[in-house]
Amino acid sequence: MAVQAAPEQEQVATAPLLQVQGLTMSYGFGDAENKILNNLNLEVNDGEFVSIVGPSGVGKTTLLRVLSGLIRPKSGTVSVGGEAISGPHRDLAVVFQDYSRSLMPWMTTLENVAFPLQGRGVGKKERNEAAAKNLAAVGLGGQGHKYPWEMSGGMQQRVAIARALAYNAKVLLMDEPFASVDAQTRFDLEDLVIDLQSNLGVTIILVTHDIDEALYLADKVIVLAEKPATVVDVIETGFGDHRDQVETKADPRFAEARARILHRLRSH
Amino acid sequence: MGLTSQRLLAVAALLAVWQLVIWSGSLPSMTPGVPAIVTAIANAFTSALFWTSLAQTMTAAVTGWVIAVTAGTVLGLVIGSVPMLDRSTSILIDFGRSFPVLALMPVVIMLLGATAQMEIFVVSLSCLWPVLVQTIYGARRMDASVVDTARTFQIPRLLWFRRILLPSATPFISTGIRISASIAILVSVGVEVLSQTPGIGRQITLAQQAQRWDQAFAYLFFAGLVGWGIAGLLNLAEGKILKWNRQAND
Repeated sequence: MAVQAAPEQEQVATAPLLQVQGLTMSYGFGDAENKILNNLNLEVNDGEFVSIVGPSGVGKTTLLRVLSGLIRPKSGTVSVGGEAISGPHRDLAVVFQDYSRSLMPWMTTLENVAFPLQGRGVGKKERNEAAAKNLAAVGLGGQGHKYPWEMSGGMQQRVAIARALAYNAKVLLMDEPFASVDAQTRFDLEDLVIDLQSNLGVTIILVTHDIDEALYLADKVIVLAEKPATVVDVIETGFGDHRDQVETKADPRFAEARARILHRLRSH
Repeated sequence: MGLTSQRLLAVAALLAVWQLVIWSGSLPSMTPGVPAIVTAIANAFTSALFWTSLAQTMTAAVTGWVIAVTAGTVLGLVIGSVPMLDRSTSILIDFGRSFPVLALMPVVIMLLGATAQMEIFVVSLSCLWPVLVQTIYGARRMDASVVDTARTFQIPRLLWFRRILLPSATPFISTGIRISASIAILVSVGVEVLSQTPGIGRQITLAQQAQRWDQAFAYLFFAGLVGWGIAGLLNLAEGKILKWNRQAND
């Protein structure tokens, strides 16, 4: 039995962790049909950091909601680990843009981080330990007793990231996670996410309208444009594991990729 | 001048006006003056009958109220969180809340008699509506981000109900609980006055019939005191439980 299983495993390892095929999404029917996404295809490999960049209103949030299983596509499939999903999935954790409202104000930060584990039936001691560990990983060690409203916006978003990490999903989906914090906090959070990704090996898909952010963070940038939206370009950034807010952004490859994305977005 | 002394002064002014009106002779001569009422209140403290009546009224009021709060909260959360149920029951609920429950008393007395059960039933029926309506409002108001978050983390239904829906609706539920607490005292005393079910209300009627107006006023005073005390306790509890609500909405 064990011998037979070996070739199968090999096959799974080469397949992308998350795959989107022929994804089409629209709201309304008939004449009133408003097509948002059109025949979208993308692949994300295990351990990869992928940014999805596109102008405001192109349908990025719709795409992320489809990926997270919150809404069903009109046609096409989203597969995780080779298996098509039909709703929210154990291997997908989401960090929403609106951190202040996605955290429960009646729970302490520790309870907020531990809560999804409680939903999965993890015992109190074990889930609190996991929550404390992940709070420490995002730089909030020992602050689990505080309530979200006792923290700054940047700290609240760290809590939301810790919650997604504690859920121990294979893929982290982030929807404009740093859009509502100030510039310095934003850089800190970007570097935090890069560190977490290289330390924990988690796969991240981050949606943003900010080209610099998309490039700085990702191994692969997927450019969305047109109406209805489709993938117009895929860029491998090739910056490796080490990133620096000044150095990386001064890299000639950074400027070149930036120009290419801008050109792509302008010509549509 | 401190707030406490200001308040004491207001009470003293009220008592003085009362006594002046008595002295002026514009009220019927049997209306008791301030000293008579104070004596009656003091006497009530040592009267076994008074304590028994108070206990009867409180038991009926609190039992009816607890039943209403429990039923109203559970029903309200279910109705408010299921749009189809919400739409289909809204007419029934609007009708029920506008229905004068005290007018139902003759029917209930016919079915249950002038008993404590009857009183509890009427109290809980009167208290149900404010809790139910407030809870439905609270449950409807669930934040879309909270709903999305719970869905993506696949929070099981029962845990979602207890740890998300209930606390998120608590600011509204607590208003319903407070309103219905004063209704509970009001209705229980009212039912006793009207139906002669044992309790403070019945003692007020008996004192009135015996021309003991000082006693009747003393009992009225205690009915008010109880209502005031309960409101104070609830405010305290609310301040503790809903600390997050005030802070989060700053």
